[in-house]
Amino acid sequence: MSDFEPKIIAMVCNWCTYTAADLAGTSRLTYPSNIRIVRLMCTGMIDAKYILKAFLDGADGVFIGGCHPGDCHYINGNLKAVKRITGVGKLLEQFGFDPARLKLQWIGASEGPEFQRHMTEFVAAIQAMGPNPARDCMIL
Amino acid sequence: MHPFVIIKTDGHLSNAVAGFLKKLLTEQIADAVLAAAPTPYSLLPMPTLFTAPDLIEKADPLAPAAPFNSARQAISVLKHDTGKRIALVLRPCEIRALIELAKLKQCSLDNTLLIGIECLGRMENSVYLESASQNPGLTQAFYEDPDLQKHICSSCAICTRFQPVHADISLCLVGMPANECIGLSAETEAGLSVLKQLGFETSEAPARREDQIHRLLDERKASKAALLSENKDKTDSIEKFQRYFADCLNCHNCRVACPVCYCRECVFLTDVFAHDPEVLLRRASKKGMVKLPADTTMFHMTRMAHIAHACVACGHCSSVCPSHIPVADVFIRVAEEIQKLYDYEPGRDLSEAIPLLVFDENTGNEGI
Amino acid sequence: MKYEKPSIGVYVCHCGMNISPKVDVENVVAFAETLDHVTVARDYKFMCSSPGQEFIIKDIREKGLNRIIVASCSPRMHEQTFRKACEQAGINPHYFQMANIREQISWVTKDSAEATAKARDQVAAAVARAVYHAPLTSREIKVKKSVVVIGGGIAGIQAALTAAEAGYEVHIVEREPSIGGHMAKFDKTFPTLDCAACIMTPKMVEVAQHKNITLHTYSEVDSVEGFVGNFKVCIRHNPRYVDASKCTGCGICTTKCPSKVLSEFDQRLTHRKTVYSPFPQAIPNTPVIDRDHCIYFTKGKCRACKKFCEAGAIDFNQQEEVIEIAAGSIIVATGFKAFDPTPLSQYGYGRYPEVYTSLEFERLNNATGPTAGKLLMKNGKPPEKVAIIHCVGSRDSRYHPYCSRVCCMYSMKFAHLVREKTGAEVWEFYIDIRSPGKLYEEFYNRIQEEGVHMIRGRVAEVTDIPETKKDEGRLTVVAENTLTRRVLRVPVDMVLLGVGLEPADGSDAVGRMLGVQRDADGWFNELHAKLAPVKTAMNGIFLAGCCQGPKDIPDTVAQASAAAGEAVSLLAKGTVRTLAEISYIDPDLCSGCKTCIEVCPYTAISFDESRRVAVVNEALCKGCGSCAAACPSSAAGIRHFTDRQIMEEMEAILL
Repeated sequence: MSDFEPKIIAMVCNWCTYTAADLAGTSRLTYPSNIRIVRLMCTGMIDAKYILKAFLDGADGVFIGGCHPGDCHYINGNLKAVKRITGVGKLLEQFGFDPARLKLQWIGASEGPEFQRHMTEFVAAIQAMGPNPARDCMIL
Repeated sequence: MHPFVIIKTDGHLSNAVAGFLKKLLTEQIADAVLAAAPTPYSLLPMPTLFTAPDLIEKADPLAPAAPFNSARQAISVLKHDTGKRIALVLRPCEIRALIELAKLKQCSLDNTLLIGIECLGRMENSVYLESASQNPGLTQAFYEDPDLQKHICSSCAICTRFQPVHADISLCLVGMPANECIGLSAETEAGLSVLKQLGFETSEAPARREDQIHRLLDERKASKAALLSENKDKTDSIEKFQRYFADCLNCHNCRVACPVCYCRECVFLTDVFAHDPEVLLRRASKKGMVKLPADTTMFHMTRMAHIAHACVACGHCSSVCPSHIPVADVFIRVAEEIQKLYDYEPGRDLSEAIPLLVFDENTGNEGI
Repeated sequence: MKYEKPSIGVYVCHCGMNISPKVDVENVVAFAETLDHVTVARDYKFMCSSPGQEFIIKDIREKGLNRIIVASCSPRMHEQTFRKACEQAGINPHYFQMANIREQISWVTKDSAEATAKARDQVAAAVARAVYHAPLTSREIKVKKSVVVIGGGIAGIQAALTAAEAGYEVHIVEREPSIGGHMAKFDKTFPTLDCAACIMTPKMVEVAQHKNITLHTYSEVDSVEGFVGNFKVCIRHNPRYVDASKCTGCGICTTKCPSKVLSEFDQRLTHRKTVYSPFPQAIPNTPVIDRDHCIYFTKGKCRACKKFCEAGAIDFNQQEEVIEIAAGSIIVATGFKAFDPTPLSQYGYGRYPEVYTSLEFERLNNATGPTAGKLLMKNGKPPEKVAIIHCVGSRDSRYHPYCSRVCCMYSMKFAHLVREKTGAEVWEFYIDIRSPGKLYEEFYNRIQEEGVHMIRGRVAEVTDIPETKKDEGRLTVVAENTLTRRVLRVPVDMVLLGVGLEPADGSDAVGRMLGVQRDADGWFNELHAKLAPVKTAMNGIFLAGCCQGPKDIPDTVAQASAAAGEAVSLLAKGTVRTLAEISYIDPDLCSGCKTCIEVCPYTAISFDESRRVAVVNEALCKGCGSCAAACPSSAAGIRHFTDRQIMEEMEAILL
């Protein structure tokens, strides 16, 4: 599956990980182009529906990036996200999705290189997993 | 052991139970009693709110049928404190749902007397109507005849939580000869005081009960493991999931029947999923074809994401499906995993916080 | 919600050479033209330039566009620029959406074809979401022109005076009978050694006399409701049993009172009466009756104070009183508490009479203290040898991991004062000397020149078992000098413990009441460690002094002035704008489960009992979306980040 080019949704919070992504840009740190960033205000606003939707629409991976614990712009939105995301991962696992297709990572606003590293690693991990089995889903 | 009271049935199980309920009204322990009773027009027992002692004799809460998970009917009279004390006769899955709904501020349990049924299962409505029309004494026969018990619905057949948790008084049937007697177990102080007020003498529970409860539990556990494993084979890929739900009509009956799907309006009926034609056409053009109505898989998975932690395994979602999709089987399978993940059991404890409402302040830095 | 039929303009920026040629801009424009609802798609060298913006404005006016997409740099860069352009052209600024194709595409992607494909997706996503954008507005709310300062120490005093001088009404709430806080107890202040009272009391008097300041001493904040610009603060006045309007402050009640208890102000080294002012320069000088110890209150007779009070100010029937203040902003200045060294039993505090905490030493050394400022031991003799132990309770994982910042300096101040007053030998035991401050290092050098023995090592033990007979009756300090690796046993007459600082008692309750978070050590969290050091996550609530973390007087005063500056800036502006991108709750969908109320970090959601639905307070909501994610029916949502907008955005990328 070496020529498989996954499509990955990265839902990132405005204050930390989105800023880190910008910083990766201003620092000209390149990473695979498979990432599609969706900006949200906080990981705490990530509804289970968004993750399900991304996978049912064929995303090969979903990356969620938020502020480090304690740094959340909204005090603890990131912590609230953890359980919900873990739960959705467990749910997807029941239907044959590799739970590793869903990843949550804390990347602070100043961590441009970390952003680059996580994107690179996640893309490689998804590439190894192959395409999302829901790509051919017609009962959405 | 909880204080136990033995009530003679003298060959009339339903009457004995109704007699006990009648006392709640005549002794003014409760202002009203919610219990299942057939209507004058059908044998199917419906949740019925009684205030007249004379009429409560018609109640038959042990009839092996339940067209609803009555938790929803219970909250309709418990929405806020009315100053009236209400006794509710409910199955364990109904009490579990009621506890979950109380956590969700859908009702107040402050002024209630919860009477839980040690539940040996319910039949699907059609099966019950057929049997009951042939056998006027079906309720008692059901508890005496293991063959009749085989006709319970598939969710009941794998139910391991057939004993009420959180009831004030349990109506005990396992290990009790229904034609002779049943038991009342006082599970709370309030329950005990009611039994004392009614002048019942407490005694030991029959020794054989424990054994029989264990035996039933083991049987159920085995059936459950078998069914869930079979279900896993049917739903463990997205391809299989689509096959499983291929006949779904998006009627949302399952969500209407679900006692813990408490939303006033399901998000799938709101603007969020009211797609513009451009969106549907774009989907079709990208995929070549898409099934309409849209969002079938999305609906079922979202419902699981929302309430798998609270699923009480009552099986009503399967019972109401017009396409006969065993919705409950897959729901129960997923719920087991999610409840294990959160170390959460719906209905276990009113003070147990809903998992998504509490978070770990000490969440580590490594992500998941 | 009803949307007008979308007509979308897409503008793809070259950003000079920053986006093209990596992204094939013409290709992206051609692709954009094929998207639903797109009326016009163009590219331009610099969209953010005036001509670039003019393009947009002209197209909105001439082609009737009602949604604008600019694919260029990060929205953090120019979202406001383009929103303003939209507003100028007459459409709601929230009809604008940006696609970040520079920071997140052209600058981070090697392959040009890949960059172009990614840019197409992000443009499609922006278009798809913009279809469902709604016009948003924010409201302007008038700000109440007053400030409540919680705490009347030097931080609260400084903040109050600064705000009052600017012409705003200020209320200081202090739970003790007098303002002044810890600083009023100090004798000298480092590094200048000026007398604390000499610099403190004029400020206290100024507070008392300032026409814009109202003092609420012997009072506590009962509750705080409301939001930035419009707080409702309930203050409870505890009964003093002395009518302040009649009291002349003559002190006869105190003189005549027959009952004595240990003085809190003097760190229990001396006694006070039960009707008392904590110290001679107390502000206000109206005494209070300590009800718990008063003979009249406990036994029903005495009334000596009442008998002798010519002004008739004693009122045994006085009741507590709760008053409500409307405030535009709140400054928290609740200060600190000195660490209680009792648990460190190896230092013998409480067991050996000649072991003192730093606050006790401050009183011992103070002209108004128990020895009238003479440095004497309990036997009435001056010490000949004194040990000072640093970092007691600080930099210690068992107690407080942090450095309390002031102990090194005050310990060296003590060393100087001991040398000056008694000529005694002084041994200081430290871990590291922390003297970063103006003239602090110089002070450190000075006390070394004064002959103070500085020993680098944490003290293992203070014992009354002497090494030799001649030291019988003295204390011995045992420590390793980590520079010479030798264990020292120093016989001394007096030991001073440089105790650390910890959050004041009750700051947890204050934090809960205000919705201001505290860190793991209990200090209040500032909004941003560097860029918003006196703001909190709660708009309109500011921090001053040690309640945010240990600090010395100069830092406290500077921070208090800053907090007052922030508060005044808010009040001077006169109005606050609510955020537009905040939560809404559809009452027709709300099931009344209160889940949103439980997850809201800002207590911005309340419950309307009559309709049994949750209601968002738009002034408190910051738009984090915790409520939206938790609401299963999507009755709660965040404007501009709605379920539909986000899911459309993803779908356009994926399908």
